[in-house]
Amino acid sequence: MTAALIGFALVLVLVLLRLPIVFAMGLVGTLGFAYERGDSIFSERGLKAAMSMVGRQITDTAQDYGLSVIPLFILMGLFVNKGGLARELYAVSNAFLGHFKGGIAMATVAACGGFSAICGSSLATAATMSKVAMPEMRRYRYSDELSTASIAAGGTLGILIPPSVILVIYGLLTETSIGKLFVAGIIPGVLGILLYLFAVRWTVWRNPESGPAGEKHGWGERLSALRSVWAVLLLFFLVIGGLYGAFDFHPLNLTFSPTEAAGMGAMGAFLIALSRGGLSLSSTFEVLKETTYTAAALFSVVIGAQIFSNFINLAGLPEALIALVTAYDVEPFVVILMILGIYIILGCVFESLSMLLLTVPIFFPLVTSLGYDPIWFGIVVVVVTEISLITPPVGLNVFILKGVVGDVSTGTIFKGVTPFWIADIFRLALIVLIPWLVLVLPEHMGAMGH
Amino acid sequence: ADYTLTISSWAPPTHGINAKMWPKFVEMVEEATDGQVTAELKLGIAPPPAQMDLIMDGAADASIIFHGYQPGRFVTTKLIELPGFEGSAEAASVAYWRAYEKYLKEADEHRGVKVIALHTHGPAQLHTSNAVTSLDEVSGLKVRIPGGVGGDVGTALGATGIQVPAPKVYETLASKAADGVVMPFESRKGFKLTEVAQNVYEVPGGLYRGSFAFIMNEDTFADLPADLQQALEENVFGEPLSREIGKIWDEIDTIGREETEGTEGNAINTASAEDLEKFNAIAVDVRTKVIEEVNGAGIDAQAAYDMIVQEMAAQ
Amino acid sequence: MQSLVTLARRISVFPTLLACVALFILMVMTFCDVILRSVFNAPIEAATELTRILMAILVFSVLPMISAGKGQIAVDLTDGVFSRLRLSRARDAVVYLISGIILFWPIQRVWVLAERARDYGDVTEYLAIPVFYVGWFIAASTAITAVAMIVTGLLYIFAPHTLSEHHQ
Ligand code: NA
Ligand code: NA
Repeated sequence: MTAALIGFALVLVLVLLRLPIVFAMGLVGTLGFAYERGDSIFSERGLKAAMSMVGRQITDTAQDYGLSVIPLFILMGLFVNKGGLARELYAVSNAFLGHFKGGIAMATVAACGGFSAICGSSLATAATMSKVAMPEMRRYRYSDELSTASIAAGGTLGILIPPSVILVIYGLLTETSIGKLFVAGIIPGVLGILLYLFAVRWTVWRNPESGPAGEKHGWGERLSALRSVWAVLLLFFLVIGGLYGAFDFHPLNLTFSPTEAAGMGAMGAFLIALSRGGLSLSSTFEVLKETTYTAAALFSVVIGAQIFSNFINLAGLPEALIALVTAYDVEPFVVILMILGIYIILGCVFESLSMLLLTVPIFFPLVTSLGYDPIWFGIVVVVVTEISLITPPVGLNVFILKGVVGDVSTGTIFKGVTPFWIADIFRLALIVLIPWLVLVLPEHMGAMGH
Repeated sequence: ADYTLTISSWAPPTHGINAKMWPKFVEMVEEATDGQVTAELKLGIAPPPAQMDLIMDGAADASIIFHGYQPGRFVTTKLIELPGFEGSAEAASVAYWRAYEKYLKEADEHRGVKVIALHTHGPAQLHTSNAVTSLDEVSGLKVRIPGGVGGDVGTALGATGIQVPAPKVYETLASKAADGVVMPFESRKGFKLTEVAQNVYEVPGGLYRGSFAFIMNEDTFADLPADLQQALEENVFGEPLSREIGKIWDEIDTIGREETEGTEGNAINTASAEDLEKFNAIAVDVRTKVIEEVNGAGIDAQAAYDMIVQEMAAQ
Repeated sequence: MQSLVTLARRISVFPTLLACVALFILMVMTFCDVILRSVFNAPIEAATELTRILMAILVFSVLPMISAGKGQIAVDLTDGVFSRLRLSRARDAVVYLISGIILFWPIQRVWVLAERARDYGDVTEYLAIPVFYVGWFIAASTAITAVAMIVTGLLYIFAPHTLSEHHQ
């Protein structure tokens, strides 16, 4: 256990010295594994054992069938964007919500939710929507606080509403069904949208100047805007419906594994973008290139995390934690609260993926040994990860907004984000107290066709 | 204990392999060495095909491998997988070890690691969501069958193979990506097939039997004092361990069968006499092919096959 | 020196193209597999093993580029401190050198494992593609990654102006 804690501290130090996560976790994991398998860190026998584990981890992770969803879902999101769908999504939500007080910020939140349904990353959602929604909110003289905060917070939904890169990696690290995790994210995601809408209303109620009403759109305009987003809806229903087993009509059964859903989604997005003239040969190449680069970076950190978690596993940290909890006879619920507390503190400084990679190997065995559902814990982890994206001092979504918008201080954005952050904490409490919200959909998966 | 071995295993935590077989191994080792040697189980260090490399290089001390996960590497292990043997997994495992000692060892397919037990699961049957009542209905089904003899039998029956590792079987069936799976009865509980594949088509003797080995790092064994080595060799490794593990496969098969019989909506359809005759003809073809293949590895395959049949009948 | 860096960047188009082709094939193959299976009841049996190989190609082809560029995921919490202390360049040099050097051992091991797979005759299930080819490919591209990272580290020390494109 001591070795594991030292290793954990060492990873933190190396990561803060800006060593890429894969090298920090990989190096410490390797030396730790060598220590556990040999007499010392540098014994020949231990190093050979560790290197063999590392070598296999590199080749096996790169060829893990389950991980193939990552490049395919990233590809889907990028193709969809080339087809101009983000703009259309925004136009629809604006046509329906824009005329309320704070309505354009509400439209932004709704459009973020819609974009999350085709994009697996929160950062990409925030970056895309800031380009689309920010100019509109400025045109209507929305306060910078409210405009940037609604995008930064709305963008966090990207990793909760399926598809989600973070859920894929959680599923992979914990051997939990990725399909079920995706479906489990739907209700908490919708809950997130609703609570963010309340946060917007609250902000406008406190300060009516911050979000004046926009124009009212007639039903003709609304319907024509709706018609243009059929493609997004189609893709989402194809992907999630296929995963859920909703198209299982005998003799045709269009039901997908996550990889297949991702492949269908990517191909569909490609065809939509192509049919709209949004793709040239060179822009297709750009999309493919960006996808492979992102995928390679994600695969690298997964390899690093696997190596590190093998060391943690061998060093017996999870067992030690479980023994500790049993020895002191701590209530399971108290353990969950402590873990959540740790996450919220870590979330102040850590970026989403690093937080997940560092903590899941340690907490997952403990949480499941207490009898909690692995799917539920996955969603809880993603919700706290979402919170970390807008928690000061380091909130990546806030920084993205700062990067895209430029002339707003991060202080202003963090201030605007406060009601959204409170809404998130409220949502976390709901999910922790009522696991049903998470588990009801996955429990009925695959049962629809019968 | 003076020596604690690290076991690396890959099946789900509650599966018989981890819940019963490794604990049995630890129990036998402790008993044989008066508690001087023990072992602890570590799950999820690497996927199944990586286990032999891990053991060879000492990343763990002992592990379980399923030979079908490494096509090309293991050929002689196909012999025990052939359909048509009559008898329990215990009988098959003991016969397997004896045939290994006498014939199969020579092919040296496990070079680099110490083989400490060989065993097979119970006869594998076809599990499907829609009921299959005759052999002809298998043709055209999308079925998950692991490599090796199972694959040959599936092809001969006209099924289309779907490749997924055992822990992903539940998801694959639930999503209807496959119509069925060929696995032993124990999987009905071990992999929750009672929920996603309600029907079993049972062929007495099974469509094949999967071949497994327990393996150990050579240096780990060499580092033990001579008296402990001897105690392990005499009382645990080889036939004793193979027999005990075979017994557990039989035991969890029974649990799987009882679970099926006790689950509403589950049904077991046994192959008719005509179908059995039809299947036996297929089995003969597969056997001829495999025996030829094993001969290619420099083994007198027919003699080894005959020995397995006799040993199983004798028990 | 500058021309060498430019040349390296030009050459990197080829592995990127390879990765893009692998990804495109993966997408089309997955789509076809689902359609063939659902509509014609005839899935592509080798789809799983081809998926595995295509992934190894698409990830490892671009590994040198993302590793030598700033593509590897890192935590930039302390960037401000380093730049105030004017240590950013020194830190980057050290990070690249260490990362490149420690890759030496895994590369060696991946190679040994590939050779072992060749010795045992490991092949894929349906197409009987020898497994060691993938191992060779991974070892080779990781080796290129290591060299690229070490060179980048050295450039940070001796010729930082050649790397200006990295800081766009
Ligand atoms: Na999403
Ligand atoms: Na944060």
